[in-house]
Amino acid sequence: MADTELMFVSGKGGTGKSAVTAAIAIAAARQGRTVLAVDMGTSLGLGAHLRHADLPYAPTETRPGLWAMSMDRATALDEYIKLQLHMPLGAPTKQFAGALTVLADTAPGVREIISIGKPLYEVWKGVWDLVIVDGQSLGQFQSYLRAPATIAELVPTGNVRRQAQRLASTLEDPAITTITLVTNPAELPVRETIETMEILRSEGLCPPPDVIMNRFLEPSGMSLDDIDRMPDGSAREAAQMQLAMEAGQERWAREIDAPVSLPYLRGVLTPGEVAVQLADALGGRP
Amino acid sequence: MTDTIIITGAGGVGKTTLAAAIGVAIAATGARTLVLTIDPAMRLADALGIEDLGDEPRPVAGVANLSAAMLDVSASWEAIIHRYAAPDVGDRLLVNPYFRAIADRFPAAQSYAAGERMAEFIETKLYDVIVVDTPPSGGGIDFFRAPARTGDLVSGKLLKWLTGSRLPGRGVIYQLAARPMLRLADSVLGGAMLSDVAAFLVDLRTMYDGLAARSRTIERYLRSAHIVIATTADPTPLHETHRFFRELGEFAITPDSIVFNRTLPSEWIDDAVRPLRGIDDPDLRALAKGNLRTWASEARRQADAIDELSARYTIDVHTIRWRTPPPETLADLRSLIDASSLFGSLPGPTS
Repeated sequence: MADTELMFVSGKGGTGKSAVTAAIAIAAARQGRTVLAVDMGTSLGLGAHLRHADLPYAPTETRPGLWAMSMDRATALDEYIKLQLHMPLGAPTKQFAGALTVLADTAPGVREIISIGKPLYEVWKGVWDLVIVDGQSLGQFQSYLRAPATIAELVPTGNVRRQAQRLASTLEDPAITTITLVTNPAELPVRETIETMEILRSEGLCPPPDVIMNRFLEPSGMSLDDIDRMPDGSAREAAQMQLAMEAGQERWAREIDAPVSLPYLRGVLTPGEVAVQLADALGGRP
Repeated sequence: MTDTIIITGAGGVGKTTLAAAIGVAIAATGARTLVLTIDPAMRLADALGIEDLGDEPRPVAGVANLSAAMLDVSASWEAIIHRYAAPDVGDRLLVNPYFRAIADRFPAAQSYAAGERMAEFIETKLYDVIVVDTPPSGGGIDFFRAPARTGDLVSGKLLKWLTGSRLPGRGVIYQLAARPMLRLADSVLGGAMLSDVAAFLVDLRTMYDGLAARSRTIERYLRSAHIVIATTADPTPLHETHRFFRELGEFAITPDSIVFNRTLPSEWIDDAVRPLRGIDDPDLRALAKGNLRTWASEARRQADAIDELSARYTIDVHTIRWRTPPPETLADLRSLIDASSLFGSLPGPTS
């Protein structure tokens, strides 16, 4: 089996998580890796950034080496029952799926384990170099990470428990799984990211996360003295705004260790253009 | 009568700040005002004096007539259980592992608890205006969907499948093992998972009448509330805004206004292509011009998005100017609202 890397990308809502996921996937494919990017059904998601607005469930090649799919829980549930639960021959699979669908909407952890299970099965197949998941926002993301352990706690024996334990141990394995949290150099994203890192560390559900600082403004080269030399008007206002933002981002970027920074892109760009520009900025980085 | 203003929208658009700012501005008119918030940033919690605030409203120091409360989800669920379950059932539920998991992790749980708290505060009649900041789950739409979904959870759809009876009592759990489907399910799923779930659902079922009636009350409050959708020019919040218009209709809820947060001055767009006068140093002139052009392209993106929203929906789009650094004090919050047309559009003492 090839060594497949599994990367979950999460972050506070609005930090540019899907764009960064797409950028990492594009950069990896450019390096010749075979990549599967998984959209977990978040609102706008990965598809737009990969120029495939309606991603199907079956992996689709969006550019050389980069395949993408979108999570569909009903299909994933069917797959789970057939391939993972080893239903006995002749069992009423369809009825059973119907019941499980209801269960998935009510019983805790079932919905989550089916969603998080899919990318892990793709890892187990051994055909991808990288499976990258555009995950849920912080908060919900932790529920998904917890799901296998929750199920293993609630279910005393049987196939589901064995599956859940296997999922949990893959998630915990630092040789397979990495977690990337996308943040912005501003108070709320930085604080929520730090809180999440502490929770993840204390629960030990996954390896310690890496942080990517997205939307880092390139310094303008102007100083506060320069503003005194400008007449009133739009140029001066824009300079004041820029310098205030530079000061703010310096302050909040200091609070968190983020080895990778990506630029703050401004202006009218399509989601596809944003992803490519961020991939360019990532360059040859792994 | 209490007027309710609900601020909704995607994560990261500034809902909590807006809710606090609106609360400060309305309290200044003399109306007794409550801001019900979810998870404020430190600077906001400091401004409102609520860093250690629990479920109970506390007056905000420095602003007459303004109180603030922060939602504590697990406390809210315990209160709901005590209110709608018989004492023995309630005790059993509170220690049930499925209940704990649902209260903490069920995505709609936070939204239901928020709606329940909102309803309780409305019914105290202590406030003229309640400003509600919504949880980010499901892009905010969960807040409006939660009452119906919670009804489904306790209505016993799954329970009926598990037990085959219309209104099962606890005795039915012991017959479960006899059903062939359950024997299969248990052998595949493992252990007594489904019978455990059934036992839990039987207990939950006893709360159905109370919770269903309550859900309908909460839905009624949601329909009569003034709904403000907050957005920015980023693709995800815009997408969520369109989704609100598409999906709120199914709950007979119509958004009342859109607040476009963090806008840049539109005159930057034209000024960026005019010659820049009054800066002698050519290096600085080039820097200043380049900087203005970059921000003007962002202002252009915002203007396009605002035009599109106004054209598509016949609804007021109010703008709130981008502030750097972000608002930190009560006066900062107040000035956000004072500079916007939003305030005049709100219900209550302002109209």
